[in-house]
This record gives sequence, C-alpha cells and structure tokens, in this order.
Amino acid sequence: MTELKFYGHGLPGIMKKQLPGKLIVLEGTDGVGRSTQIALLREWLESEGYAVAATGFKRGKLAGKGIKSAMLGHTLSDTTMNLFYITDFADRLEQEIIPALRASFVVLLDRYLFSIIARAQVRGADPTWLRDIFGFALVPDSVFYLQADLANLVPRVLNARGFSYWESGVDILPGRDYYDSYVEYQTRLLAQFDSIADEFGMIRVDANQSIHHVFQAIQKQISQTIADMKPAKRSKKKSEIKQQGKESKSKAKKVKKHQ
Amino acid sequence: MAKLADGRALPGKLFIVEGIDGSGKSTQLDMLRKWLLGQGFCVAFSEWNSSPIVYKTTKRGKKKRLLTPTSFSLIHAADFADRMDRQMLPALKAGAIVLADRYVYTAFARDVARGVHPEWVRSVYSFAIEPTLAFYFRVSLDEALERILSGRPSLKYYEAGMDLGLSDDPYTSYRIFQEKILEEYEKMTSEFDLEVIDASLPLLEQQALVQDVVQNHLGDALRTEPRAWRQVLTSEGLIGHYLEKDVLREGEP
Repeated sequence: MTELKFYGHGLPGIMKKQLPGKLIVLEGTDGVGRSTQIALLREWLESEGYAVAATGFKRGKLAGKGIKSAMLGHTLSDTTMNLFYITDFADRLEQEIIPALRASFVVLLDRYLFSIIARAQVRGADPTWLRDIFGFALVPDSVFYLQADLANLVPRVLNARGFSYWESGVDILPGRDYYDSYVEYQTRLLAQFDSIADEFGMIRVDANQSIHHVFQAIQKQISQTIADMKPAKRSKKKSEIKQQGKESKSKAKKVKKHQ
Repeated sequence: MAKLADGRALPGKLFIVEGIDGSGKSTQLDMLRKWLLGQGFCVAFSEWNSSPIVYKTTKRGKKKRLLTPTSFSLIHAADFADRMDRQMLPALKAGAIVLADRYVYTAFARDVARGVHPEWVRSVYSFAIEPTLAFYFRVSLDEALERILSGRPSLKYYEAGMDLGLSDDPYTSYRIFQEKILEEYEKMTSEFDLEVIDASLPLLEQQALVQDVVQNHLGDALRTEPRAWRQVLTSEGLIGHYLEKDVLREGEP
C-alpha cells in the first residue's frame, strides 16, 4: 500500500487514504543510468509477477508536446518553463501514476519533482515557491538518488547522445562551449541534488559502480519496499529466486566493504 | 504603483479588470484604453490565456478534456508567467501603462471554485506583479447570466464547469459554476483591496468612475506624441494610407 501522503495540500478530488500500488522513483543527473536501471528493474519485477508501469518526463499527453516545442525554440522564460514542467508533472501524476497505483502497479518513475526543483533552483527559482507548488505531489514509497562523479558522467553522455543545449545549461551560461558549460552546469546541478537528497530523504546509490552493482543495490531496497505486496503470479522457481536474492545481498555487502 | 513580487516598485502602472463572465469588464477596459491613448499615454495590453506558446497546450487540454483542476490551474499559470515576462514586465519597466483583462484573481476565483486549495493557488502565483489598481466589476448572477445566455450560446466543456460534474445540463452547470466563482470574487474584495465598480450602472457612468480612480494613479506614466506622423504627412503632402493602417492597428483611437 502506498499511504496517500502529499507534500502539502494534496490533489482535489481524491477520497481514498491508500493506494494498493507502489511508487518508486529514480533520480539523478543526465547520463547517470536511470533509464538503464529502470529497464532492468522492470524486467526483474515483471518476472517476479508484479504489474509494472514505467514513465518519465515530458511524456504526458497534455504538456509533453508543448514542452518539447518550447525547448526547441528556447523561447520561454524560466518561470514559464518551470510551470510548464510542473503542469506536465501534474498531468502525469493524475492521469497515469495515481491510476496505476490504484490498480496495484509498481510504478517506476524516471525522475520526479526533485529533478524539476534542482533544475529550477540552478536557474535561480525561489525554493519556497517550488515547495509550495509541489504541495499537490504524492510522497513516493522510495526515492533513489543515483549519484556519480562528473568524471564518470562525461564519457557516458558522450557515448549516448552528446552534450545537449539544456543539459549543458547553455541557456544560463552563454558564451562558453558546450563542454565547459556542461561541466559548470552539472557541477551546480549536482550540488543542488546533493542538498535536495538530504532534504527529502532519498536513498543514495553510488552510480560510479558497475551497472550490475547499482542494480543489485536498488533491487535490495525495492525488495523491502514491495515486501507487503502480493505478486499476481508466484514464480515457479521460488527457491532459485531466493537463492539469487541471497547472492545479490552478499555481493552488495562486498561492494560496501570495497568502498 | 505596480510592484514586483519582491516588493520593488516598477515605474509603470498596471491596471487590471476582473469580474465574472457578463460583468462587462472587457468593454470597460477597452473604453479605458482608448481614453488613455487619447491623452497620449503609452498603453500595452494583455489578455488572460493568450500566450502564443502556452495557449496551444491549453487549447489541446480543453479540446481533449485532459485537464484536471490542478493541471488546469498550472497551465494557466504558465500562460500568465509567459505574458508577464514578455508583455507586462518590459512595458512596466519602461514606465508605460499596462492594462490586463483578467489577472491572478481570475485563477483564485475559478480554480478554487474547481476545488484547488485557496492557499496553494495563491502560492503558485506568488511571482505575480502587484497591480497599481485592480477593478472588480460587481454584477448579480442573474444579470450576468442574462447577458451571456440570452443568445443561447453553445457553452464549452470547461467554460460551463462540466468537469466538476455539477449537472449534465451545460446551462445548469454553468449557472452553479458561475455562482461559486462569484462567491470567491466577493471574498477577495477585502483580501486584495479590489476597487469595486457597480456593473449594473450604465456603461458611461461606470467608465466615469473607473477614469476618476485611474486619474489619480497616472502620475508620470510614459507618454508619446500620438499623432507625430500626421504632421509629417501634412508638411510633406503625403496621404499616408499605408502608415495610417499600421498605426491604427497598434491602437490609435
């Protein structure tokens, strides 16, 4: 069960106190491997018999298109862009996330309000204003903060799609090349994430490790989060899975020792 | 005096009009605009829900009925923020007069009638410029409804408040929705010190009242020589039929 707990006044029109699904969020900067981990987690959870829904930013039916076209034109002011993102967030929360939770899904989210807050604060938005607005947002069951050093992020971004206008903060750091902007912008963004992670009690995951180690670290935590849920179908190879679970636990411990 | 959210004063003047549908506020604002232009003031204008970029999303949400009370409120705030930054703020910084047809109070009335928390929507708009004067055109529900509904217009889904499930009949729904909005406006008159105008008075009497109040707040608002181009035409013996069109479009009385 997800306790229907909001950061503030909540959403109008929701009567129930609990939702049978689970809301799990992966946060972190560009290139940290959120989508890879979500793909892995989704497969793992589905093989365990859970119904899984995965969604991310700018995919809302309402404002997704509008944001994308505004990003192409670089035309909106900071406040407008923030409100556009928040509109998309509200739309996805009400139209996709809450209905999925109501239907007992495990919802894996690629970024939540924390990315919007970090991005907005780097651009000088009022922190109180942002927190007041997000009073309608549902408190997730767990939030993982995938944390990696800039030195590890750069090659990943280059291998994936290169430095983008927005992820390099070129809108606020004009007159530099994309690499310099990227380094400066991500440094500022990581600092914001770091303080937001403490403020909202996110579970920190060291994403400098291998993809496998990161996966196992998250898997271990999620197992606890979903412990009170019953999967739709019990897997036949129950003992094997238990065995695997033990292995991954011992591996996770080893990783800690290595650090 | 118009003020930024942080309290800093802006050299320009911001006058806004509010009221339920059918209160006649837009007519009054148009009359005020012509009167100000006639005196040579620089006047910029901004209308609720008209940002060229955000409006497309709002329209899409309304057409496909994707909007919830929360996203309805947020997308209108995005629209407002865009217009504030592009239309209102630059003109106010330049010392001009800005007239706005509906302002944050529309959101406070309408979104709260839709069920969002009054404090929440006020915090969403906390970045808004504080207007020099905010006029509220007070009209009875029956009179406003008669003005709007006498022609039996087709009411749109959100306009009629159909999303609230108040009634299956758009006209009944619209009436209940407008009544809730009216209640919210009435609560706000003291909260925000709105300048109340009796909208049941004849048009010109209302306008005289508006002008009386505005007059005291004009101060040193930016002026232009409105007909400078006419002198050129006269002295150069030109007709100016291209010029006249463009200038008229920019809002010459």
